Amino acid sequence: MAATDAELTALVIATRNDAAFGELIRRHQSLVRGMLQRMCRNHALADDLAQDTFIRAFEKIGSFKGTGTFKSWLCSIAYTEFLKSARKRKSADRVLEKFQADVEESEAPRDMGNVVDLDRALATLKEEERAAVVMCYSCGMSHSEAAESLNMPLGTVKSHVNRGRAKLQAFFAEAEVTV
Amino acid sequence: MTMEDAFDQRLKAAFANAQAPLEQPAQADAFTEKVLKRLANPDRKRVLLLGGAGSTGSAVAGTQLEGLFSNMQMPTDGLLSNVAFLVSPEAMAAMALAMAAGMVALVLPRRIV
Repeated sequence: MAATDAELTALVIATRNDAAFGELIRRHQSLVRGMLQRMCRNHALADDLAQDTFIRAFEKIGSFKGTGTFKSWLCSIAYTEFLKSARKRKSADRVLEKFQADVEESEAPRDMGNVVDLDRALATLKEEERAAVVMCYSCGMSHSEAAESLNMPLGTVKSHVNRGRAKLQAFFAEAEVTV
Repeated sequence: MTMEDAFDQRLKAAFANAQAPLEQPAQADAFTEKVLKRLANPDRKRVLLLGGAGSTGSAVAGTQLEGLFSNMQMPTDGLLSNVAFLVSPEAMAAMALAMAAGMVALVLPRRIV
């Protein structure tokens, strides 16, 4: 039987075991990379941030108390890495956002199954709304897990998810009218 | 089932669809290998910082050694007490540098946790 996340984490804390941490990476890499790709809209940057996330997690794994899930602890580190990176490239982001806004105006949305369209739809959300929606719908977290990862009150996360969801619904409804 | 539930399901399916390529075993293994390699090798900036600090420190220590040992008065007899006279100051400086370099080499592969 495969070891649980809690068992692997305990092994890494006790022995700094690379193989055990490798298994944790293998299990959660798609979640972290997927989450960061949806938030950054830049796959190369998202992968760099995902690597930084796992390295940071390894360095501070002793601080994981096991009160929440390993997944939500990891996502909170990923979100912190994303915020740090976003702060660093704020001016570059403004240019990127303007470029993306131009693309949105010139192209009609197609369908929801398309990854590019999903990213374009997410680009219409505010940063906090996007983070909350991604955590709940992409990472499969409950509202309270997302609140813990985002370090926000539960009510605020619920509001962000509801507003974000409504905006996405409007975006894709427009797509269906257009098609 | 309400319209909202249907939209939630579509949204979850869209996210799962976007994430699907990342779940391929080859993708997972390649990414895991990259992270483990980075964990095994400390970053270049850290190597440069520690290496620079170690080299500067050992260079400063090396310049002080000759003055320290050349005026030494040894009150005892015996082979060990004469080591300072048998070994030239340059050789001692070289040994001190080698020790400093060795200590830096020991510290470099370790990560600060």
